[in-house]
Amino acid sequence: MNMSEKVPVTILTGFLGSGKTTLLNRILSEEHGKKIAVIENEYGEVGIDQGLVIDADEEIFEMSNGCICCTVRGDLIRVLGNLMKRRDKFDYVLVETTGLADPGPVAQTFFMDDEIRDEFSLDGIVTLVDAAHIDQQLGRSDESTEQVAFADVLVLNKTDLVSDDTLDGLEARLRDMNRMAQIVRSEQANLPVDTVLNLSAFDLDQALERRPTFLEPEYPFEWTGVYSLEPGRYELSLAEGPDPEMSLVVVYDQRADDSALRDGAELCVRQYAEPAENVLPGESIPVGTHVNLKLEDPGRKSFLLKIDRPVQVGLYAQHTAEEFDLQLVSADGTAVALTTERTWVAQHEHDDEVGSIAIERDGDVDPDLLNIWLSRLLAERGVDIFRMKGFISFAGEPKRFVFQGVHMLFDSQPDRLWGDSPRRNQLVFIGRNLDEESLREGFEACLT
Amino acid sequence: MLLVGDSAGGVYGFDGESGAALWSHQMAHEGGLLALAINPEGTAFATAGQDERLLIWDAAEGQTTKAIDIDNGWVENVAWSPNGKWLAASCSRQVRVFDLGGDELWRSDDHPSTISTIAWSKSSELATACYGQATFMEGPTGTIRQRLKWKGSLISMALSPDGKVVACGSQDNSVHFWRRSTGHDSMMPGYPGKPTALAFDTKSTLLATGGDATVTVWSFQGRGPEGTHPGRLQLHVKTVSTLSFAPRGRRLASGGRDGAVVVWSLQKDGEGEPVGAALVPDVVAEVYWRPDGRALAALDAQGGVTVWRVGE
Repeated sequence: MNMSEKVPVTILTGFLGSGKTTLLNRILSEEHGKKIAVIENEYGEVGIDQGLVIDADEEIFEMSNGCICCTVRGDLIRVLGNLMKRRDKFDYVLVETTGLADPGPVAQTFFMDDEIRDEFSLDGIVTLVDAAHIDQQLGRSDESTEQVAFADVLVLNKTDLVSDDTLDGLEARLRDMNRMAQIVRSEQANLPVDTVLNLSAFDLDQALERRPTFLEPEYPFEWTGVYSLEPGRYELSLAEGPDPEMSLVVVYDQRADDSALRDGAELCVRQYAEPAENVLPGESIPVGTHVNLKLEDPGRKSFLLKIDRPVQVGLYAQHTAEEFDLQLVSADGTAVALTTERTWVAQHEHDDEVGSIAIERDGDVDPDLLNIWLSRLLAERGVDIFRMKGFISFAGEPKRFVFQGVHMLFDSQPDRLWGDSPRRNQLVFIGRNLDEESLREGFEACLT
Repeated sequence: MLLVGDSAGGVYGFDGESGAALWSHQMAHEGGLLALAINPEGTAFATAGQDERLLIWDAAEGQTTKAIDIDNGWVENVAWSPNGKWLAASCSRQVRVFDLGGDELWRSDDHPSTISTIAWSKSSELATACYGQATFMEGPTGTIRQRLKWKGSLISMALSPDGKVVACGSQDNSVHFWRRSTGHDSMMPGYPGKPTALAFDTKSTLLATGGDATVTVWSFQGRGPEGTHPGRLQLHVKTVSTLSFAPRGRRLASGGRDGAVVVWSLQKDGEGEPVGAALVPDVVAEVYWRPDGRALAALDAQGGVTVWRVGE
């Protein structure tokens, strides 16, 4: 059956008081010309002019095998099973969960039950958070954390009750936990219906359009500058900046194209993992070594860089050139022009044990190797992996494959033709205590 | 007469021989009809739906004789007791029993979960299945006689006509059955899909089960079905959606998501051969035998009704 024939389902989660009922009321009363069936847990003050509101007890069905991925919502299977028999199909189904619900069983229902999977597609998970309370809730309840981790859209609601600074901080915290989600702010759940329905939220293309860097790995450096140099002595000159010191790695033979820069970045990560060698102003900077430029002294400071052959060098710096007015000055006192420069997504501390990991790699994947790796990964870590989505380029396949998964369940479907676009794999994992390095290594071993 | 209810909420009466429409009510249950059951005498029937109502009808006239507001959610199952005296209807976690006139005799306590299906035994016990258990209650009083527990979602149920066995299909792709005398249970795992269709033959020897495109038939003769191989009837190309044994003999009708309706002739060991097959335009929702076993009706997902004559 074609994906497009399936009825899209949106799951609406959020703690008590986050504004779910207000949002539901808005959706059902707004003129949008769509037929929506709402499945909720208690009849609230919900107008039912344009849709059907079905009251269902949240019935969590665990199975005797004890497998958490087999845990589904029995009430949904029954209600949706009856809805799909009707000839007058609905355009959308919206499932509201109780405040304390774990989104896992709801989402799994759309993977686990064959009949439901044939007729409905999980369009997205929308989580409302109360800006005034989410900070404390995240610390205290697993459910709240899971609702954030599962979301495709995070609605930061009641923004009028907190300061802009607090909001920015909250947004950063939520973003850390779930890099995949689109974050929108609202005061009284006053959102356009399109923010909530028909998200095609699993479409990573859209996510990339919104935030082109979201799949990029984080690095311990923010900036790279590439310079073409003749043999000679150069001075690296820095003004006073935001930090009394700065980490740096200088590499030789740095090409200026983006792919070479990314290779260089991967290399420098390893250098950065080594302890840094302190370099004082006036001293010489060794090439290919992690150094720590000491910048405590007031005013401009210079460090020596000796170049022994014509070469293109890359400077991988902890801060951007702009922050310290960084310049490379030749022996005759003129500043060397940059061949190219690039900024990176800066690494920072992650406070929450729930987080997201993105992997982006050019090339083709061997389907058998991927299957073996994913099956083992999900069998071992499926409990801690809440969501997984991505695009895969399989060797010999003209079409891009779209992956999505919830805990141990995953589903892949052919998507559009690659055509002339570069064949690239993008995967995002959201989960608890994920090991980034082993995920990366595991995936890389699947490349042909 | 053939009585048909549709998912849109309509109820229709047809002449059982000619197929002529006798009467119709397009909107008997607003929002949709969920269940229909004819009483053993064929004089009355009951319907229930998403409007949270239970209706009792005069079959010949096609008129309601009683409308009962349950007001507790969708009324999903109705069943008449074999003696024709009682009508059971389940709604959410509760089952209620009425007399022929529609007066309530008793209602159960809330079950641990929503009742998925109900059935009467020959000895006028009412059985319910839900997540976690099958329950047997005395027909006239509702007193609980037996609880059979299983940690899983029981989605379908069939009682053997001799009253000895209850079989349930489970969401975890297994069929589970209990010997009622001992409470001893057995599980038949390994179905590729969930067994929503179950049927016992009139002799209580054969249990036909769906779950994928194969009809799997367990034989209870001798010491079976434990330790035996079931009959595997293969002709459907998609999942079997409904099963029904003929009122006499070992004839089984199956309907599938492929739109095929097949009549099988079975042996005592559960093996069998197809003796007739036909296609309807969409997923087969239900198959029903005429009480004399000489005609078979199929309902499909497009709302079509097809009736075939069936030879000896």
